[in-house]
Amino acid sequence: MPNLKDIKRRIRSVKNTQQITKAMKLVAASKLRKAQQAILDARPYAVKMMDVLNHLAARCNGDLHPLLDVRDGNRHLFLIITADKGLCGGFNGSIIRKTAEYLKNNPQNENSLIIAGKKGNDIFRNRPVNIIEDHIGWTKDFNYLKAQTIGENLATLFSEKKVDKVFMIYNEFKSVMAQEVIVEQLLPVVPENLEHKEESFAVDYIYEPDEEAILDELLKRYMTVQVYRAFLESSASEHGARMTAMDSATRNAGEMIGALTLTYNQARQAYITKELIEIVNGAEALKG
Amino acid sequence: MTQKLILSIVTPEKQLVSEEVDQVNVPGTEGDLGILHDHAPILTLLRTGQLSYEKEGETISMVVSGGYLEVTDNRVTVLAETGEFLHEIDRERAERAQAEAEKRLGETDISEEEYIETQKKLFRAIARLENSENN
Repeated sequence: MPNLKDIKRRIRSVKNTQQITKAMKLVAASKLRKAQQAILDARPYAVKMMDVLNHLAARCNGDLHPLLDVRDGNRHLFLIITADKGLCGGFNGSIIRKTAEYLKNNPQNENSLIIAGKKGNDIFRNRPVNIIEDHIGWTKDFNYLKAQTIGENLATLFSEKKVDKVFMIYNEFKSVMAQEVIVEQLLPVVPENLEHKEESFAVDYIYEPDEEAILDELLKRYMTVQVYRAFLESSASEHGARMTAMDSATRNAGEMIGALTLTYNQARQAYITKELIEIVNGAEALKG
Repeated sequence: MTQKLILSIVTPEKQLVSEEVDQVNVPGTEGDLGILHDHAPILTLLRTGQLSYEKEGETISMVVSGGYLEVTDNRVTVLAETGEFLHEIDRERAERAQAEAEKRLGETDISEEEYIETQKKLFRAIARLENSENN
């Protein structure tokens, strides 16, 4: 027969856990609101910038700028963005899995990593892969300037021909419930609207000071903006994932408490019945 | 009168302005520009300085730093690194930034990159101070 005291203790411990997961859910929800606003505010800039860049790149020669230089080499650099904390479902796991899968499938390449987030670092630190730098604790105080530093660093590595391609792997924020792992080529920059080429040629632009100077400025800023956006996407996704994970944890704890309470009541009833039988039996024995 | 321009000013942090205006004045690297209805398509870099736009007889000003201006089809798009309306400017902070930048520029152990960065900071601080003086 299950011990009453033990069951009671378990119920209490599950209740405590439930309280913690509930609190974490609420915290994640409020952080999510902020992160979601940030990404929604940042998207128009990224989109507008992409437009301008595409207009301009359609009119310029591809090998004008070192960041547009397409090379055949196999030195690939990955910027992977994970969180610093766990307890957010498959958020970190899916990034790590995607990266590990890629590394395994392309052993002929010279791969190297730049890792943001403690969770990613914990995993890849002990693996035979070249880590160029890590950014542990980025989730605490991320801002545009940090993105700029990271972006400029990537651009330097690329234009000094130390790497041939740069990718970013991060979680894109789809909705509160859904994130999607995105592998995005950052460098060389490939302007996408080749089919609109004719159309934009029709517009005669005035350039001040001149196309090259603008392109140079634009590309530098483009790097920063893409990196910035990826980090914001990741941050919103993280809070969304944590909120969902904690919500289901809270629900599971509730179910568990229900089941335990049932067992407790059954055990208590059985105990009472047993005592009653003992008393009745005792009385019968005295009578006889 | 329908001679309007659609102006949108966006910074990486947020979209600041998105509305119909009559005229936009911007600080281009090659000189200030005034943009009216039916302006020719142009793409230009901006320097740190005051940007203003006129809307229904009212002039609204802000300080922007670093970015571009694109005009196509009566749509004016400003992509700026930072942008603040005049009334938002924190003069004390700008003064502090100016003093710090000036001090740093006077030192000898400064690298070329840092020099350029600090100089930009100084310009930004000065632009903020100059333009917010009359409020």
